[in-house]
Amino acid sequence: MAPTPDTELKKGNAELLILALLEDKARHGYEIGKLIAERSEGVLRFHIASLYPLLYRLERRGWLKGEWEPAGGRRRRFYRLTHTGRKILGEQRTRWRAFSGAVDRIVEVRHA
Amino acid sequence: MPDWKKIVREELGSLPLSNGRKDEVVEELAQQLESAYEEAVAQGINEQEALRRSLEQFKDWEKLRGELFHSVEGTRLPVWEQKGLFSPRRWPVWAALGLALLFLAAPAFRQALAILPVPGSDPTASGPRIFSDRALRRLELSGDKQRYARALAFVALHSPKEDDLRAVNAAEKAIALDPQLTWIAAKVSHATYLYPGYDPHPWVERLKAWDPENAYPYILEADANIHSAWESRWAKYNAATPDLRQALAAEPGWREPMEKAFAAPRIDAYNTQTFALDRQVLQEQGLDRPDILIVNTWAQPIPDLTAMKMYAQILLRDVGASAEKAGHPEDALAAYRSVAQFGERLQVASASVVFMQDILANRLQQEACEKMLPVLRRQGRTQEASVVEGTLAGLVQADPAKKSWPSFSGEASRKRSARIVLFSGAFVMLLALVTAAWVIFLIALKWKPDLSRALNRLASALCVAPPLLLLACAVLFLGYYPYALPIAQYTSAQDLRQSFGPFIMNAYWSLDLQFSDVWLVRMFWPSVWGAVLALAAAVLLWLLARRQRPDDTRPA
Repeated sequence: MAPTPDTELKKGNAELLILALLEDKARHGYEIGKLIAERSEGVLRFHIASLYPLLYRLERRGWLKGEWEPAGGRRRRFYRLTHTGRKILGEQRTRWRAFSGAVDRIVEVRHA
Repeated sequence: MPDWKKIVREELGSLPLSNGRKDEVVEELAQQLESAYEEAVAQGINEQEALRRSLEQFKDWEKLRGELFHSVEGTRLPVWEQKGLFSPRRWPVWAALGLALLFLAAPAFRQALAILPVPGSDPTASGPRIFSDRALRRLELSGDKQRYARALAFVALHSPKEDDLRAVNAAEKAIALDPQLTWIAAKVSHATYLYPGYDPHPWVERLKAWDPENAYPYILEADANIHSAWESRWAKYNAATPDLRQALAAEPGWREPMEKAFAAPRIDAYNTQTFALDRQVLQEQGLDRPDILIVNTWAQPIPDLTAMKMYAQILLRDVGASAEKAGHPEDALAAYRSVAQFGERLQVASASVVFMQDILANRLQQEACEKMLPVLRRQGRTQEASVVEGTLAGLVQADPAKKSWPSFSGEASRKRSARIVLFSGAFVMLLALVTAAWVIFLIALKWKPDLSRALNRLASALCVAPPLLLLACAVLFLGYYPYALPIAQYTSAQDLRQSFGPFIMNAYWSLDLQFSDVWLVRMFWPSVWGAVLALAAAVLLWLLARRQRPDDTRPA
């Protein structure tokens, strides 16, 4: 069965969010989950149970690279963008801007 | 502090990731739980509540397990590692399969499976299906002469047209082994057996000698005498015209045996013997098949009704009428009585089993009585006339043609049952094949878990086959149960027709005649073959596409 447009949007959004959070620096899974909740001020809720499978999927695609590094007295798996991941982020961001801009232009118009 | 890794390891269970990846995944998830717990405790939440909140992050561990494996390996969990309700590691799927197999222990279920119409098969040709040449040879070598004779008689009675020679040879052998089976000569005495060199006359003579009081051999003889000569002549006549009667009456080879048939004390098409023999043979072969038994009764040859009607009309309209005109009322009455008595014998022979024969028997008697009445009245034989009048009134009242048609199609419940049995039976067959394939796939994947991703996906999807098979078996069993009766319990062909006939008729009719005649017979197996080829081609194309693009999750 073909996925509904709504499902695709959510899936794409989740990928975009993770890629965007990793653009500047490497982060571990717990931090990514917390940042999504914090930066969206609670608007976006991300199921933690979906986060790790998504991270592994992006890693398998070669968009992310995960490495164990010490942090706060323990070792954590940090994820950083690969070259491909950075390219994909650029593409997805462009698409998102076009999409959100289009929605804005429609939603924000006030009819006289 | 809880042992987070232990918790994760226990909840995830077996996660067959390669190259130590499982330990990494366990550690990472454990850290997620630990961090959430520590944060909650730092916020002043008590440890128990913090633990609950932490664990709440992963509510469905089984789903997570599948998703983790899929994300890391790019494919579904090996079917033997899955823990879904119907996965092979859990008991429900095997219980369903076991229960489905248990249905086979029920005779009613086995009978339901056996009676399902098979596309393309001729239900009347049970002889060669049950007794191949090899099977007959085995019986011959077994030394059981009686059983061998019965098997040969069965072949003689129920072979398709193309096996006429085999049927005649079987009849010859059967009668030689057991002369009590000479009645089967009635089947092979039909002039319609047209293989080169066939002559029905010796068979008719044999039957006449064995059963001289029976009208049936004479009717067969009449047909045999004119069959080849009249083949080209039938088309010239309209059955209703007096010309045909006169032409036939002018044929001594036809008229004389028909005269003897009408004078014979009884008429017997050996329906009772056929039913008893068929049932015994089926039982001896371990076939509890009322469908074969009933189809055999449908295919049972009946005496030539047209010939009987024609000769009766000769007696009533030509012989009787001429005698009346010539002033010989006793001769006319004798002709009319002859028809009435023949009608009575025909009615007795039919035993309400052969519907058309019943109608003809009644009509012959009615017409004979109608002809007798004015003759008797003219002669002042009022007492005899009133007896005939009473008989006629009874015949009119009992006219089978005026009764409603035997209620084959009128009973909604039987129609519904027939459809339920047909559809659930088809599903049972299909799901049994799918389940068998699933078991083979499972065995292959148990032997080599990474044999094929496609096979693993297929085996995972087909886990629902055994429960569905169980459901289809239950529906088939319940749908057929009211009609399930061992053939030994049917007392006669009439009993079989009344009890089982309407159901099986509806089963055949539910297939829709055109559908079963044309599509099922000619197109069923080609369609199955076509579907298999299309499936194989689709799988091949898919595999090729996969090879060219190993990671199909990449965005467009």
